[in-house]
Amino acid sequence: MHETRPAKITSPITTLNGGHLRTAPVALIVGAIGIGVAIMLSLGSEEGLKRFMFTYLTSFCFVLSISVGCLFFVTIMHLTRAGWSVTVRRVAELYAMCALGLGILFIPILATVISGSDMIYSWNQGGWTMHDLTTAEKAEFVNVANRPPLEQMKYQFLNQNFFTIRVIAYFLAWGGMAWFFLSNSLKQDKSGDKNLTSRMQAFSAPLMILFAVTVVFSSFDMEMSLSALWFSTMFPVYFFAGAFLSALCTILLTGLWLQKTGRVTDEITIDHYHDLGKLMQGFVIFWGYIAFSQFLLIWYANIPEETFWYNLRINQPGWMTLSILLLVGHLFIPFFLLMGRGLRRNRKMLAFSAIFILAMHWVDHYWLIMPQMNPEANLYTLTGMGIVIDLACMVGVIAVYIAMFCMIAGNRSLVPLKDPRLGEALNHEVH
Amino acid sequence: MAEENTNSSTDENSKLIGLVAQFDDPDSLVQACDQARQAGYTKTDAFSPFPVHGIDPALGIKRTILPFIVLGIAVGAVFIGLGMQWYTNGGSLGEFSTDESPVFPGYRFKISGKPYFSLPANIPVTFEVIVLSSAFATFFGMWFLNKLPMLSNPLHRISRFKRATNDKFFLMIEQADEQFDRGSTEAQLNQWGAVSIDECRRDLTDNNLPSWLRLFALMGAILLLLPPVAIFRAMGMTSRAPRLHVVPDMDWQDKSKTQTLSPIMMNDRYLFADERVMRAPVDGSVARGQLDADTELYEGIKSDYVPTVSMTTPQGSVRTGLGTQDEAEAAPPVEDVSMYVTEFPKEITVDEALVQRGQIRFNIYCAACHGYAANGDGLVNQRAIALAGIGKAQWTSAKSLHDATVSNAEKNPLGRIFETISKGRGTMGPYGAQIPTADRWAIVAYVKALQETGIKPVLAVSEEDKSGESEASDANATATTPEDKTRPTP
Repeated sequence: MHETRPAKITSPITTLNGGHLRTAPVALIVGAIGIGVAIMLSLGSEEGLKRFMFTYLTSFCFVLSISVGCLFFVTIMHLTRAGWSVTVRRVAELYAMCALGLGILFIPILATVISGSDMIYSWNQGGWTMHDLTTAEKAEFVNVANRPPLEQMKYQFLNQNFFTIRVIAYFLAWGGMAWFFLSNSLKQDKSGDKNLTSRMQAFSAPLMILFAVTVVFSSFDMEMSLSALWFSTMFPVYFFAGAFLSALCTILLTGLWLQKTGRVTDEITIDHYHDLGKLMQGFVIFWGYIAFSQFLLIWYANIPEETFWYNLRINQPGWMTLSILLLVGHLFIPFFLLMGRGLRRNRKMLAFSAIFILAMHWVDHYWLIMPQMNPEANLYTLTGMGIVIDLACMVGVIAVYIAMFCMIAGNRSLVPLKDPRLGEALNHEVH
Repeated sequence: MAEENTNSSTDENSKLIGLVAQFDDPDSLVQACDQARQAGYTKTDAFSPFPVHGIDPALGIKRTILPFIVLGIAVGAVFIGLGMQWYTNGGSLGEFSTDESPVFPGYRFKISGKPYFSLPANIPVTFEVIVLSSAFATFFGMWFLNKLPMLSNPLHRISRFKRATNDKFFLMIEQADEQFDRGSTEAQLNQWGAVSIDECRRDLTDNNLPSWLRLFALMGAILLLLPPVAIFRAMGMTSRAPRLHVVPDMDWQDKSKTQTLSPIMMNDRYLFADERVMRAPVDGSVARGQLDADTELYEGIKSDYVPTVSMTTPQGSVRTGLGTQDEAEAAPPVEDVSMYVTEFPKEITVDEALVQRGQIRFNIYCAACHGYAANGDGLVNQRAIALAGIGKAQWTSAKSLHDATVSNAEKNPLGRIFETISKGRGTMGPYGAQIPTADRWAIVAYVKALQETGIKPVLAVSEEDKSGESEASDANATATTPEDKTRPTP
């Protein structure tokens, strides 16, 4: 009864099969409209273009975290010589490759820095406005004796030139890593050379270190430096936890979508979804663990240099609502949504959970970024037309991201064709 | 053994439990399991050296309920973990209620200024309780569901079966199964490809303990209860009997303890004439790094000073640092201030760095009583005066260092300030042990600087002066006001 499947691709269609030619233009148009609407609406708002730039950064960080998470997925699978994930690895490779394209989407943000504007990053141009501090907190900063001003010390790291160099380095590093894995994997599709797999495994260890360093500092630079005077060494771990979680959701959703549209129907089985679901639940808990660890240490130590960041998000009624929403929606609900074998082997439930988690992950980045735009304003002043701006921008950026994925995927196979561990993956069975 | 078992189907001493068929590879085992299930057998079990994929559905085994047991226990652990912390430290619902628990008021440890019951602080402990309980629930739940521990299993009577942990695969069909029939089941197993078939038999011979052994065991158990009963009885009772010394040579060791009489006797006399255990250092010996011969640097006393009074006079006792409270109450002795140095020792370079160092040290060691501006308004002083006011403390107020008696360089030369810091004066304790010599001189420099700048009590400061002062001294100035009223007149 237990037939072992031969290590052969049996699906009739393993590529997008021309679908990218239809989807990409539509997605690009939707993206242009979404972003255009967001810009128009925010120009009419109180904050002007700044309103758009912040919501753009939110959605950008959301899609960036997906690519970064997928890059981690590919690297860790090579590092651990994983057999089960071979059939879903190509999707992750393609998403990881999008990181290079996202470098283009970062140009508007980088432009504000290069032009010397402190529209997004208040540290730029020496404009260290401590606007998210109360008067008492400012006094604390000023009153520490025998120390050069904090701004002066942090300026060694956060300045126009160094920031630009770093950001370019991140995207080159991610793009290079992604291209290394994708190109070798594609080469193997043709030759079936097993040495390519050993080669990728050998490189995955040092590349994992490169990945760790770039992710740590990019999260410092892109998101944490919005509140430039804040301290939290836990922040990169928090960013990573959310990134890998959303990457798992994206891989799962993409797999479901591909199979629903008749592609790679035989290669991705329910057992792969089951394992992705297990990882998702694990990283839901990990995210909660890290989020709480970051909060607990700051709450316990109660040092003004650190607490003001949470003070803004907890003692402002609007942001407080969002904080609780994250606690419930990003931790408790997905935890139970993914609990139990039955739920994790149900494609519809998994799809629902993945979409839910992704939505919450966008809220997570919103929660990280938006309060820094105008700390005087709470969430309620951002609602109304603000919601339309945020949603339009989110739809636009995600549409561009999908277009990017379609263009990179092109006519390439969506599963590795001759991976030496393909048989293991096809016969993968989960208990 | 195995042959014997298979041949004797009607044994008086054993009962047939089931048939055990051996297979040579996992695939044929899975196939046989599948066929046994399809043939309607339900009481079956398979044994293999390693987990075999697909064996569970082949045998028709339902999924375990263990996860739900673990979930239930984990949810319970949330309440146990939180409840335990609430009960022990909170004892009430905090903000929600002012009533204390009637049973146990809680330890009420105030930690880092947090509420007695504060959720963030309690989550890590709760999390640990969840993890521990879940691990136990998984481990012991698995035991319970597998009916473990099982001390003996009739399967182990089959010698062939030992290879189930090595390289063979077995399927057992139990006799209790409704479909079971000795002959036809064996035929079916053969048909499904069994390599060999054994009977599994339970030994029915009497396996009870001999009655005399039971009696001994019972007596032993009763005897074991005696020590705890004796201990329990002894608790809360007084006794005149000397304490039992179980290990006498640990209780009485041939060694000398510090600050005691010497236990060593020779010819009915103590080993040392003074009968002490400890030996004083040889006269004139100096511990490493402790040669403090330079009196100017280490004591603040001129090197060419010759005491004109004997060491037993009050001045002398101050000199040796044995000043006591009695002294403060005694009539002030005539002091020879000429013995103190009036300049800083040559080893100390007086510059801005020294004064800044002195400020830091002063703020750490002195300001608690004397106040940051040396007005004598330190928080300890204020609190002690407040307590003394309601008769809860004895307190001699800390001096303002701007008092004429203190700031006068004639009456209170540098050396005397240094000596005061080092050895204390009046009720002020000595700080020589806590503060290194150089730091004490730095404090002297800072005190002199404070006195020179002449910071006055806030009430004497005019409005213009006040506006020019820094925030820090503002904070101190407000603290000065209540103290001024209570400060005793000099």
